[in-house]
Amino acid sequence: MNFKHKYFFLFPGLFVLIGILIFPIIFVVRLSLSGWNSYNPGLDYIGLENYIRLFTDDPRFWESFFRLSFLSVTTVILQYVIGFALAHMVWKDIKFKRFFRVLFLVPMMTTPVIMTVIWRTFFHESLGPVNDLLSVFGVAPKWLTDPVIAKFTVIIVEVWQWTPFMFLLLLAGLLSLPKEPFLAAAIDGASPVRKFIYVTFPLMAPISIGAIIIRLIEASKIMDTVYVLTSGGPGTSTETSSFYIFIKGLREFQMGYAASMSFTYLIIMIISLTIIAKVLTKVLLKE
Amino acid sequence: MDLVANNLSYKPDDQYHLNEVSFNFKEGNLYTILGRTLSGKTTLLKTIAGLLTPDSGEIEFDGKNFLKVPVWERNVAMVYQQFINYPHLNVFENIAFPLKQRKIDQSIIKEKVMDALKSVGLLGYENRKIQELSGGQQQRVSLARSLVKNAKILLLDEPLVNLDYKLREQLREEFKNLFSKGLADETILIYSTTDPRETMELNGEVIVLDEGKVLQVGPAKEIFENPNSLKVAEISNDPPMNIIEAKISDNQIRFEGIDVEAPQHLSKLTEDGLKIGLRSSDIELNENGHEFEVELAEISGSETLLHLKRGDTKIIVSIEEVLNFKIHDKVKINFKINRAYAFHANGKLASSPFGGLNG
Repeated sequence: MNFKHKYFFLFPGLFVLIGILIFPIIFVVRLSLSGWNSYNPGLDYIGLENYIRLFTDDPRFWESFFRLSFLSVTTVILQYVIGFALAHMVWKDIKFKRFFRVLFLVPMMTTPVIMTVIWRTFFHESLGPVNDLLSVFGVAPKWLTDPVIAKFTVIIVEVWQWTPFMFLLLLAGLLSLPKEPFLAAAIDGASPVRKFIYVTFPLMAPISIGAIIIRLIEASKIMDTVYVLTSGGPGTSTETSSFYIFIKGLREFQMGYAASMSFTYLIIMIISLTIIAKVLTKVLLKE
Repeated sequence: MDLVANNLSYKPDDQYHLNEVSFNFKEGNLYTILGRTLSGKTTLLKTIAGLLTPDSGEIEFDGKNFLKVPVWERNVAMVYQQFINYPHLNVFENIAFPLKQRKIDQSIIKEKVMDALKSVGLLGYENRKIQELSGGQQQRVSLARSLVKNAKILLLDEPLVNLDYKLREQLREEFKNLFSKGLADETILIYSTTDPRETMELNGEVIVLDEGKVLQVGPAKEIFENPNSLKVAEISNDPPMNIIEAKISDNQIRFEGIDVEAPQHLSKLTEDGLKIGLRSSDIELNENGHEFEVELAEISGSETLLHLKRGDTKIIVSIEEVLNFKIHDKVKINFKINRAYAFHANGKLASSPFGGLNG
């Protein structure tokens, strides 16, 4: 079709796309080549100086990145396992099935920031109910101030908050599975456990991959939980990439440097998620 | 090793799916369950397989209570009317699935799967995906899957019903060959179908099921020749047997102003409410016959089915050639009355031309 006004009709969509996606990315790249900070707010040009600083002189960024990888992979694995277990549980005909289906979704319906404030109160070392209960056993873990335990506190809160999302996707997946292969498997002599391993799980593979990738993308943006729960502390022991970039950019106003970190982070995420998706597809779908 | 059932009942809603069903199946035999749709055939097979638990009654296999054995430990195989396979596995893996559930050597699995593939004519398809196969091929795969495990009980639930005409004929032929080649002597083969022709061709022991109740049990020939009731006569004939309300007196069968001389096996039946049964193939067009009006003429294959009417009496005649009739045409027909059955008012067989309950 040759229609000379076609670009005119394409324009509104293109305009939005340019405005909210393409321009910001290009601007971030340009910004990352500048020394914009609070003393010198302007788009000057300093070449690759920011990148050189990032790759040679900033272990804190890389530490926060590996910490993020650890946190997101651990939380997503836990979310997947728990979410699958819960979904599998209410997939079968059990009593109060509808009640449980709704109950398991409740955490997702809450506001994450507010829930994190509540969790912070829960885990407060001297005033929180968790340690109050644990005092019966004579222990009082430093949930928020011990560098190792604090990571697990973040994991607990993240898993609690986002397992319902995984549960929802996986339950929808389970409900959409054909019933027939399960009939066949029972007759073919597969016990319930083997039925799960050889039928349910492989049939769920495509949905699992989708759910895991979506959650990985979401989880690698962990920010509000850390911000409210520990503010990256104690020290930097729960600081994640996005939180560190936030500190550099919006607290210390090293805009140029924060932009170079953001861009580097974006590239790394695209590459690693692509690899993860490929690997998952290969392992789960055997393709 | 016999499969014995006593008074199986299953009533999930206000209707019986199984109603006091009892049977005694012996190894090495073929049993055909004949019944219309929703007669309880699938329910019965599922109960034997263990996918359903009956409300009451018992099943014993090899002298043991079969109902206490979980599905996956019962040595049964089943082919469904929908072609059920594993969509995530290829043809080879599908057929190997039942074997992989037991600890069997890989090389033996391969050999057995190849044998099964060969017997259903799918050699060379082992690496195909299930979705790439046609309906008939998919059904062959599930048949192969049921053959490969040498189950003691093989259940076939209307395996041909969802296939097109040609494939059905072809597979039916292959089934007959497979069965006659003697599926291991110790197998109990149970085949359910709605099609009387299939039942006759398979020529096994027939169980006629209707509304969850067993109506008649016997060899195919016996069911065909001496149906014990009107219902059985309807179910075991396609098109269903014509039922004509008639009266017999003075050695004449009288209905709708027609008098036909009664054959010997009917002549003594003079009761009220008698029903005469005559197969659609036992009526023929004849210039000197009785006049009927055409209500509908369907051509099916090389056959013409004429739906005829005279007064309140409606009959179906099947003619072995393709003929064109218009609605309201008048045709003349003759009854092969010595092939007629008679049923009492309560539906029980009164007399059959093959000697059942004469007089």
